[in-house]
Amino acid sequence: MSDAKKIVLAEDNSILLLLLKFQLEKEGYKLLIAVNGKEAVDLIEAHNPDLILTDIMMPFISGLEVISHVRNKLNLKTPIIVFSSAGQEEMVLKAFDLGATDFMSKPLSPNELVIRIKKLFR
Amino acid sequence: MNETYYFIEYFKQSPPIIQVAWIFSAVFSVFIIPLIIYLNYLRWHLRKNEIVVAKYQAEYEQALVHYLYSGNEEEEISSEQQLIIDKLKKCILTPFKRKIVISTLLKLKNEISGEVAQSIEKLYCQSGLIDYTLPKLTSKKWYTLAKGIRELRQFQVKEAHDQVAKHINHPRRQVRKEMQLYMVNLFYFEGLDFLNVLKTPLSEWDQIQLLEVLQRFDNQKIPNITSWLNSSNDSVVVFVLKLAKIYNQFEQKEVLIDMLNHKNKDIVVEVISVLCHLEVFEAKEVLKNTFEQRTQEEQIAIFKLMENLYEINDEPFLLDYIYHENFEIKVSALKILKSINSYKFNFLKSSSSESEFLQIAHFIENN
Amino acid sequence: MDKSTEIILISIIHYLFFVYTIAAIGSYIILAFISAIETKEYMRKNSFVNYKEILASTISPSISIIAPAYNESLNIVENVRSLLSSYYVNYDVIIVNDGSTDNSLEQLIEAYDLIPVEYLINEQILTKPLRNGVFKSTNPAFEKLIVVDKENGGKADALNLGLNISTHKYVACIDVDCLLLEESLQKMIKPFLEATDAKVIAAGGVIRISNSCLVKGGKLHDVNFPSKWLEKGQILEYLRAFLLGRMAWSRLNGLLVISGAFGLFDKKIAIKVGGYDTKTVGEDMEIVVRMRGYMEEQNIKYKVAYIPDPLCWTEAPDNYKTFISQRNRWTRGTIETLRRHRKIGFNPKYNSLGLLSYPYWFFFERMAPIIEVAGIIYFGILIALNHIRWDYSLAFILLAYLFTVLFSIVAIITEELTYHQYKKKGTGKHLVMIAFLEPFVNHPFILYAAIRGNIDYYFNKNKKWGAMTRKGMNKA
Repeated sequence: MSDAKKIVLAEDNSILLLLLKFQLEKEGYKLLIAVNGKEAVDLIEAHNPDLILTDIMMPFISGLEVISHVRNKLNLKTPIIVFSSAGQEEMVLKAFDLGATDFMSKPLSPNELVIRIKKLFR
Repeated sequence: MNETYYFIEYFKQSPPIIQVAWIFSAVFSVFIIPLIIYLNYLRWHLRKNEIVVAKYQAEYEQALVHYLYSGNEEEEISSEQQLIIDKLKKCILTPFKRKIVISTLLKLKNEISGEVAQSIEKLYCQSGLIDYTLPKLTSKKWYTLAKGIRELRQFQVKEAHDQVAKHINHPRRQVRKEMQLYMVNLFYFEGLDFLNVLKTPLSEWDQIQLLEVLQRFDNQKIPNITSWLNSSNDSVVVFVLKLAKIYNQFEQKEVLIDMLNHKNKDIVVEVISVLCHLEVFEAKEVLKNTFEQRTQEEQIAIFKLMENLYEINDEPFLLDYIYHENFEIKVSALKILKSINSYKFNFLKSSSSESEFLQIAHFIENN
Repeated sequence: MDKSTEIILISIIHYLFFVYTIAAIGSYIILAFISAIETKEYMRKNSFVNYKEILASTISPSISIIAPAYNESLNIVENVRSLLSSYYVNYDVIIVNDGSTDNSLEQLIEAYDLIPVEYLINEQILTKPLRNGVFKSTNPAFEKLIVVDKENGGKADALNLGLNISTHKYVACIDVDCLLLEESLQKMIKPFLEATDAKVIAAGGVIRISNSCLVKGGKLHDVNFPSKWLEKGQILEYLRAFLLGRMAWSRLNGLLVISGAFGLFDKKIAIKVGGYDTKTVGEDMEIVVRMRGYMEEQNIKYKVAYIPDPLCWTEAPDNYKTFISQRNRWTRGTIETLRRHRKIGFNPKYNSLGLLSYPYWFFFERMAPIIEVAGIIYFGILIALNHIRWDYSLAFILLAYLFTVLFSIVAIITEELTYHQYKKKGTGKHLVMIAFLEPFVNHPFILYAAIRGNIDYYFNKNKKWGAMTRKGMNKA
């Protein structure tokens, strides 16, 4: 599967990370995982993924900064889906301002995520 | 031997102050040494504990994800899943591991919805974790009780409703709060029935949390709030007023206008802000007529309402307040005046020489 | 004077010193016990709070962070960034540039795309006038930021202007150079919102020392234990003061001081009492005492809350010169506050504020250095007259020393049982070592600074004023 789509997934909750990795790999994607914004940025720079999934609230470098880095520093058009928790509406708006493609609010449904990813890649 | 004897003699011959000083010094030294040993042990223990917890956590995370993805269509529980359940059952025999299992389940459950969340709830029951929690509901210790209720809420165990409901007027605020959160999280607006019998105050913090939970669920029908608006528990009234605002309860218009004479002035201020939000013009006339008898907080709230609901015929009323001593009222009055009669506003501005007045007028003109 | 009166006189002196020592030790032991009870209770209660749930609520009340800045150009851009990254939703950040002579303002304008805006200020407290006016950002990402440029008037004056500018219900007054953790505001606002019977008028936070810690992008990445004795000693001192002292006073509702580095206030009451006092160097203590006095006079049930979580991290002086001048200022602040509110002290009308907190501060904070020096002088006289009984002196010195060590160890254990911030292997050794050495490496300088503070206060008024405008914005 050399043409498998590469996805960078940044999420600080280790078990959610594990679960999504499991689910998405089952769907045939190649997953690169990061536990904070810093790692995410490094992975994006090194692997140029087809899609980025990132939590908004993460230690050290937030999801917003990841988006800003991808769009403004790296000038990439890679689709970005952000995960937000209840009450982070303001941050979601900012994420869209910065160039996020889509968002999903937590608690999130893994099945719905798969559907959205498939739609994006179609 | 001789030395000991010498010290005892010396001690006996010292004045009482010195004796006390020596005794205290001895006592302190006796305390210091074991405490330092304990401190070292404590630091070692904390460090080790962290590693052990991380290890088990990683193990249980793997097991949980494995469990979630090894189900199949035919059976309710696949044989692979049964193996994991059996393994967890053994782990939770020790309280230390049980705690880690629970926190692992929650760590995922809090972030996930849909089928996966339901599977986790199912696992909570099947692994027997629930059997450790239910007895907590009869505990005499408030924190055990509160923890039990919290866990049942987190895993959505609706069956415990009656047992949890008993604690509505528990003397400890933490228990009451957990009880309230349980009700609202699991039964939405129906869970608010506890407001009928609540005797203790609902703090602003509690109110915010309950409202946050309620707002998480869409398409829920809000019950009739009239009886709560008439509650003798003022904090319940304040809370329900917030509900009225968020869920646009126009049908409560008359009740709200009646409440403008509520004896609690904080409630009146809230009512005014709700009426403002609902744009009830009738309320404005009532308020204008009783303006002078009201407290300053109420008056400020009334002007905030008028900023939203002004009409041309408010002008004579406004003109009485554009030189009011209160800054906020003055600013409000001028702002509204500018909107309904800019000619008059400009005239007043050009004929005034008072610096603060001019400053405000100038600001309003440009903004 | 005949022999017998001399003996009586001497033994009276001895007994007075002794009673003072025992009272001090006794009060510390009592405070430690109260703090243990309160800490246990706090940890238990707090385990039920899910700050994540409340953090982002848009219904939560509004807060303004007010941060005065004076010649902070070195780090101001970073610091503001840290203030803007709180998890709380409903808040704004008011940076009051207090007549800085460096390029702080230009830096802020540049970094945050600021433009001058018209702003209607309700001047409820008289302050020095604006200089370049009020600025806001054109970038929506920084919409929470308000920068005010005013003429120099000292820290208290800058805070007062912030109080005038703020349109929010609560104000968090902080030092611009302190590092706030993202959840600070939620944690600090909690006691205000939880109160149902007594009104919370202010809440104080813990100050932790960030020397040697790894700070990047306005965030705390790694906690380290510093290497200098002076810094280590201060860490221990802060642990004792915050984990044992203030925790106990919060249980007794007797807190008299909220560190200027981080405190949250009910704005209405802060303004009603007239805001910060610009004529003292101890404005952070003074306003709390004044607010408390006001509430007592109005006969309203109130509380000053305290949050023991490590939320605010700041650089402590790392050299003796700055350290001494800081403590000198603290001493003068304490004297000024206690003198200004003399009528509260020992006055039953002010309940526990007058009968417990004030006397305690007077005897054990205000008078302690003076009594200590008196003791040393007396000791010197005895040596000179060759009246000294070395065994007696040893008994007393040992008593005081061992108690200090014991108290420090208890503070360290409390830290380990609660927040356990110094996780690294090997730090334990250093903590124990500094518990034994602190009386030698820090205490003499604290004593010296306190005495200098007393001298400056009583005999050197001119210097006092000069020092204030110059050092008004110094750290801590």
